Amino acid sequence: MKAVILAAGEGKRLRPFTETMPKVMLPVANKPILEHVIDAVKNSGINEIIMVVGYKKEVIMDYFKDYKKIKITYVEQDKQLGTAHALLQAKKHVKNSFIVLAGDNFIDQNSISNLIKNDSEYSILIKEHPHPSKYGVVFIEKNNLKEIVEKPKEERGKFISTGIYKLPKTIFNKIEEITSQGTYALSSVAQSIINDGKQINTILADCWMDIVYPWDLIQVNESMIHNTTASVSGVIEKGVTIKGGVSIGKDTKIYSGCYIVGPVVVGEGCEIGPNTCIFPSTTIGDNSVIHPFSEIRNSVIMDNAHIGSSSFISNSIIARGSIIDNNFSSVPGSSTIEIDHEFKQLKNLGAMIGEDCTIGSHVVVDPGVIIGRKCNIAPIKRITKNISSGSKVM
Amino acid sequence: MCGIIGYNGFREADKVLIDCLKRLEYRGYDSAGIGVIGKKLKIFKEVGEISKLEKEIPTLDGDIGIGHTRWATHGSVTRENAHPHISQNKKIAVIHNGIIENFKELKEELEKKGIKFNSATDTEVITHLISNYYKGDLEDAVYSAIKKLKGSYAIAVVCEDEPEKLVGARNESPLIIGVGDNENFIASDIPALLRYTNRVIYLDDGEICVVSKNSVRVLDENKKEVNKKVNLIKWDFKDAEKSGFPHFMLKEIYDQPDSITQVLRGRASEINRTIEFNEKIENILSNGLDSIHIVACGTSYYSSLAGKYLIEKLTNIPVFVELASEYRYFGTRNEKSLIIGVTQSGETADTLAALKEARNSGCRTLVVTNTIGSTATRISDAYILSQSGPEICVAATKTFTSQILVLFLIALKIAMIKNTIGTDELYNYILQLKELPREIRQVLDQNNEILKVAKHLKNCRSVFFIGRGINYPLSLEGALKLKEISYIHAEGFAAGELKHGPFALLTKFTPVVAIVTNDSTYDKIIANIGEIKARGPQVIAIAEDNDTEIDKHADFILRFPSNLDLLSCIPITVILQLLAYHVANLRGCPIDKPRNLAKSVTVE
Amino acid sequence: MKCVILAAGEGKRMHPLTFTRPKVMLPIANKPIMEWNLLNAKKAGLKEFIFVVGYKSEMVRNYFGKGEKWNVNINYVNQGDALGTAHAIGMVKKFTNKFIVLCGDTIFGSQDIKNIIKKEMSIGLVKVDSPEEYGIVETKGKKIVKIYEKMPKPFSNIINAGIYHFNNKIFNFIEKTKKSPRGEYEITDSINMMIKNNDIEGVLLKEWRDVAYPWHLLDANEEILDKIDKKIEGNVEKNTCLNGNIIIGKNSRIMAGSYIEGPVIIGSGCKIGPNCYIRPHTSIGNNCHIGNACEIKNSIIMNNTNVPHHNYVGDSVIGQNCNLGSGTKIANLRLDKKTINISLNGKKIDSKLRKLGVIMGDNVQTGINSIINVSSIIGNNVLIGPGAVASGEIKPHSKIL
Repeated sequence: MKAVILAAGEGKRLRPFTETMPKVMLPVANKPILEHVIDAVKNSGINEIIMVVGYKKEVIMDYFKDYKKIKITYVEQDKQLGTAHALLQAKKHVKNSFIVLAGDNFIDQNSISNLIKNDSEYSILIKEHPHPSKYGVVFIEKNNLKEIVEKPKEERGKFISTGIYKLPKTIFNKIEEITSQGTYALSSVAQSIINDGKQINTILADCWMDIVYPWDLIQVNESMIHNTTASVSGVIEKGVTIKGGVSIGKDTKIYSGCYIVGPVVVGEGCEIGPNTCIFPSTTIGDNSVIHPFSEIRNSVIMDNAHIGSSSFISNSIIARGSIIDNNFSSVPGSSTIEIDHEFKQLKNLGAMIGEDCTIGSHVVVDPGVIIGRKCNIAPIKRITKNISSGSKVM
Repeated sequence: MCGIIGYNGFREADKVLIDCLKRLEYRGYDSAGIGVIGKKLKIFKEVGEISKLEKEIPTLDGDIGIGHTRWATHGSVTRENAHPHISQNKKIAVIHNGIIENFKELKEELEKKGIKFNSATDTEVITHLISNYYKGDLEDAVYSAIKKLKGSYAIAVVCEDEPEKLVGARNESPLIIGVGDNENFIASDIPALLRYTNRVIYLDDGEICVVSKNSVRVLDENKKEVNKKVNLIKWDFKDAEKSGFPHFMLKEIYDQPDSITQVLRGRASEINRTIEFNEKIENILSNGLDSIHIVACGTSYYSSLAGKYLIEKLTNIPVFVELASEYRYFGTRNEKSLIIGVTQSGETADTLAALKEARNSGCRTLVVTNTIGSTATRISDAYILSQSGPEICVAATKTFTSQILVLFLIALKIAMIKNTIGTDELYNYILQLKELPREIRQVLDQNNEILKVAKHLKNCRSVFFIGRGINYPLSLEGALKLKEISYIHAEGFAAGELKHGPFALLTKFTPVVAIVTNDSTYDKIIANIGEIKARGPQVIAIAEDNDTEIDKHADFILRFPSNLDLLSCIPITVILQLLAYHVANLRGCPIDKPRNLAKSVTVE
Repeated sequence: MKCVILAAGEGKRMHPLTFTRPKVMLPIANKPIMEWNLLNAKKAGLKEFIFVVGYKSEMVRNYFGKGEKWNVNINYVNQGDALGTAHAIGMVKKFTNKFIVLCGDTIFGSQDIKNIIKKEMSIGLVKVDSPEEYGIVETKGKKIVKIYEKMPKPFSNIINAGIYHFNNKIFNFIEKTKKSPRGEYEITDSINMMIKNNDIEGVLLKEWRDVAYPWHLLDANEEILDKIDKKIEGNVEKNTCLNGNIIIGKNSRIMAGSYIEGPVIIGSGCKIGPNCYIRPHTSIGNNCHIGNACEIKNSIIMNNTNVPHHNYVGDSVIGQNCNLGSGTKIANLRLDKKTINISLNGKKIDSKLRKLGVIMGDNVQTGINSIINVSSIIGNNVLIGPGAVASGEIKPHSKIL
């Protein structure tokens, strides 16, 4: 059976991190989310993937060009019009029943296997969720889908749709019908099928995670990194303490006095220390340098980042290429963030810093602050509000 | 230049030959052909790429054959000129890489004997010579034939009357034997065969080999059998893919933030504030160096010129850069000289010859190359890999910037050894090197601005590039890139030289690209721009971010990040690469495989 | 009648031992797995061999040559790309039309091979304890009905043993075989096609041992060592104690104070002792040095490796050209006595063993008094510094200082 993976979206709500790459390529535990999804798909028994790409497709195609574990065929969605429209692009590559899933939602392989094995012609994976009204809430009758309501105004129901379906080839006719009427969401197609009298079987998913906002990256990283097994490469100097599941990449140097407590993933070609502490659940990308006496915990540091000495980084994201001078502090705490005309209360969130920023020494960033791409911040500043990409703070 | 493959074994020869030819295509691709002996000798050849040949070729039964991909040196690109060439009795087929210098006299002699020629190539001469000498023993015939040849050749020959034999011969063009199980190969180079065997025998000049299904014999110029070493090749050859970019060239330009990181990996340590190479290289760079000579061809010559500025600035050691093809005829050197050969492929014939010459004079030799296992790495004292990954586009992009960076690292290392640079200064350079990838990303973000400027160049007949100091070799490279892929005439000049002649060429139809850096050359180049504008041409300046003065002087400005000092050459190069790419793209040129050019030039 | 042995596979699950050798060349009781098959096939009467090679083929070729040492004839065919068992077997089409095929990384007994030779168009079957890890075979009487893929709840515990007797009809079916879901051409698919119009018989085997993970080598080592006979060729000094079945190779020197409890095999050119303790089920390769105050138990030590002073090695596999510094010790028992989990290639595997020392690749150097923790996997060319502690999976070329 084949799988269609939708990977064309930009992920506007994840800016500034999606300014240079599509949402599916954001790294979690040092692998793009899409790679985690593909691995799960492959392990569930699927033998071919049709990948629908669009926004910044070269980033995806370049990364997976040597990926040999499963055959990947690319199709392009030239205008990002919605999930059903994206699926439609795969029409001529699919000859039988197939599964469709988004490339940016993590799903475990058992759930996919269960979906494949299910006898019904149409089936969907659903999940229990404490705040279902953020998503498509589903109402069930006897294990079949009765209704999907996208982002209802009131809190009702307790299950949401994961957006992962098993569908027959005939679905494409239905999609063409619905999209020609100007509706482009897959959930609307599903609703239309239910209205036609067909049954969509519901299966409970084990493990499903969505990344909508930048802080979701930290949480998903924390969940995914628990699978890390200890594996050490590179040079580990004397006097280094490594505990728990810590993976250290090729050519990386961990200098004396470092204290690393897993689960932690350190990429290739990095230099860490001396006397630097890395606590769970932290991911550090390739070619990054962390100077002495720094402490990093529960954070995602991407490739080519430089963290100056005596810095404290917690519950934060530092994107690729950012250069941060000494004595930097990202203080985790509660914050209120305005998104989509709503105010959200977030707990225990640090700083989120975009690509290629230059941050001077002794800078402090308040909880929940998002700093855009290529920003320049002068020394001894306290950042209390979001900074948009390309700005300078003097 | 041309690619050669010969097979004698148990598999279907036509499939094996086409598969191997695909891996040789970078050597030459204007036409291709194969010849297979089943019951009879059958040939199929065609103009165009291997993929075209593959689609059109019928099945040729047989388990012995030869294949060739051609880059024309004599005779235009036609089906008749493509190899293999066959004898008049249609029983002998020959493929050839190289140039036969006396082919005209040989052709006249043969025509007097009544032989009719079908092509304008020098190769056909070899075919008819062998056929004339053939009296039942193929290697004897080949012996006699090659005695009459003057020039370079790597040939493979099969004969319908002796279908168990594949014969090869080499003189000054590369040829190797691949030793398999129940099968053997002849090829121009290793990547062609790696799928089937990793054991190779290197043929030396003047040797002939006779390859059967289960044995290989190598004979020297006196027909004596020679015992040759079988070498085990340990490296892998992976194919690159375009990954969603419209051309390999664009992908390889965008690869540069990564390829730059790879050059620095394991060599530039930020925490230890040092540059590290392996012991062999460190020995060569120590122990009193009086002078450094860099030999290279083409784009590598320009990266070497840039390297010269960097090494002289940091180490005070005199650096001479010479075109490898000229090195053999000039050049002063002694045991305290370091000769650095810069060659992306490691197979460039001129550069190899220069390195051999240097070695024979007792100099220390170091090679900067992108290809592990290449001939250059084997004939020098030590080598440094630029680690850029495979570069498929014929026009060099990422390997150029990687070469400059390797030379920069060498400069820093020598400076460390000689104490001409303080630890703080070294640390600053290391930080700058580490920041390069993101500075390049910044330049790549300006793709659209560069495209807009390219539109103004698209219909010009000539474009001039000028620069001072280290920017002079960059202007040469900028002109070369534009020439190579857009077929517009372009020339680079030292800015100060324009007034000594080339000014005469300037009109309002000849735009000038000026490289402007905020250093001691700034005022002079602004003055040059003034002089140029007074004569009509539009001026496109490549200038620093925080240069506000330039706005008053240039018509178009493309920006690169300020404060990179010596390393500005890298983002400037990326702008020049993108400019050339967009001009060529707007003109509809075949960017990855420009006409008449081959990636690695193995003839002199 | 030719014997085709499939020897092209890398054996990724055997990392780091298979970074420098193909799986079939891993040594058990001082002979590569493949040599056991060659000897047993020869005992069964086969003298003409075709080895299908691929990954690191030069190791196979350098060891076996043309077969003169065993008085047999060996021909080689290079598979090129690792495209599956059917593709590998298809390579021999031009060289034979009646042949036995053995998977080179599984050890078969000579009597069983004889039985397979007797029945043209047959495949070997064997009963196993955990059939869910293999493909089971459905039979009707003696005839094969179908060979199944691996399944979680198999309905039988009889599996495909990996030994076949074919004639040239198989090549037609190999040519028609399509790629399996994992991207390879599988001989089991070809056989399933052939069954439709041809009878294939199943032959139940009595002896069968396959090795999937490195610690399985220790089980196979134990099994084969239990069958050896005493043969002492080297130079044994006075005041040594040799009990049980012990093989000592030419030019090996056993110095005073050595205490060896068989079954143990020691290769040629070794220097053993003085005052060392070698316990049962240990295989020591050629040119090794086991020195003073060393104790080795239930382990495989490959050629040119030194365990030279004050070391303990238990339940371990150590590659070639390694050097353990004085005082290096290998832990092989968890203090809480639970079964041992191993992380290999990023996955956690329960070895189901109570004792497991180290799986060490080639060219590893350890400094004095260094410590290797239980179930460590140490890659090739790793350096472990003086006094350092190595734990878990350590990838090739790393340094633990």
